[in-house]
Amino acid sequence: MVQAGSMGLPFISVRGLLGSDILKHRPDLRVAENPFNPGEEVVIAQPIRPDVAVFHALKADCWGNAATPGLGDDLMMARAAKWVIVTTEEVSDRELTPRDAVDQTFLPAIDVDGVVHLPSGAHPASCGNCYSIDDAHLKEYLEASKEERTFKSYLEKYVHSASNQEEYLKRAGIAVSPGEESRI
Amino acid sequence: MTEQAQNYNLEELMAIIISREVRDFETIGVGAVSPIPAAGSILAEQLHASHAQIMILESNEKKYYSFPAGISELHFLAQRGDLDLFFLSGLQIDRKGNINLHVIGDYEAPRMRLPGAYGSAMLYYMAHRVILFRTEHTTRTFVEKVDFITAPGATPANVHREGGPTLVVTPKAILAWDRLSQEWILESVHPGSSLEDVKANTGFPLKVSASIKMTPFPTDQELFTLRTVVRDKLKSIYPEFAQKKIRSA
Repeated sequence: MVQAGSMGLPFISVRGLLGSDILKHRPDLRVAENPFNPGEEVVIAQPIRPDVAVFHALKADCWGNAATPGLGDDLMMARAAKWVIVTTEEVSDRELTPRDAVDQTFLPAIDVDGVVHLPSGAHPASCGNCYSIDDAHLKEYLEASKEERTFKSYLEKYVHSASNQEEYLKRAGIAVSPGEESRI
Repeated sequence: MTEQAQNYNLEELMAIIISREVRDFETIGVGAVSPIPAAGSILAEQLHASHAQIMILESNEKKYYSFPAGISELHFLAQRGDLDLFFLSGLQIDRKGNINLHVIGDYEAPRMRLPGAYGSAMLYYMAHRVILFRTEHTTRTFVEKVDFITAPGATPANVHREGGPTLVVTPKAILAWDRLSQEWILESVHPGSSLEDVKANTGFPLKVSASIKMTPFPTDQELFTLRTVVRDKLKSIYPEFAQKKIRSA
């Protein structure tokens, strides 16, 4: 799926899944015969190629090299997407290399299309060791998302009525003085 | 309920029961939101499975491999046939060994939408043994037929399967999966419960093993190790669970 997308494959096969109701609801998963083992049924999956993927990085440079928090599947997801946007806590003025991303995930410039400087951009989620989850805000979000009406007013309060990140953060009660360097 | 039965809580009991099922030299995967299996695996490692290779998703404890390059690492390891033991749960578990992690009610208009499943439908096939765990033993969990088959107990013809369901561990009992008859068999009843209690809280007719027994009480050694070494290690992996659910010795 995303793996196949990242590799540019026309499809990929997956073990298991036969007999699961997941197959009834996912037209991108089909059952086929394993050509290398006639008679054996396997599930094949269509590649996933998102139009856009957005990642929030701890740091990035103006060429697009970026370090996202933790180790994970970010690079695979970035490669699967057609366009990749990186928002970042900090913009580095020198070129970043994989050495700048120890215990983090390095997204090389060739896989990134745009970089946006966006301190506290992961809020209300966490960002590595920079800041942790905003529990109170998440609770408010969860409560609001139960109904269309309350969710709309949540969006109005925090998102639609804020014209930029700074305003959003102000509304969310996050203190960020302009120009303040984030701790990394 | 005897006096002894009150000396431990449900989470401790289930972790201890799981630990007894872990075998030495096994490669064990512990997935997301699985503090009880994590505790059980580490306890087994301390007591009788010192060569087990324990992998705990997103663990901070260096000793337990945390799949740092992403959960795909665990998935591919299982697909290669290298995962001996994995733990899954299900909001519903049915007579045929199917588990449901998707919806309660109709799929199109569910009464409850669950998080779904990431790799469960593959892992249920590819881990050599899967131990199911569920912190309640009720008729709403153990149903005749699940509302949605996330991962099936039975394997269609011509499909490769490495393993599958092995056991279900609940607060009341251990059910063992019989591969031949493709159904659960009541194998062991925990202290504090009874055969009638388990049957009454299982939503399908439950076959009883000819060698049914009472689950042995947690031993002093099991409880002490769980509440010292294991609890300490769990603090960095599941801090809240370690603090609240495992007593300090």
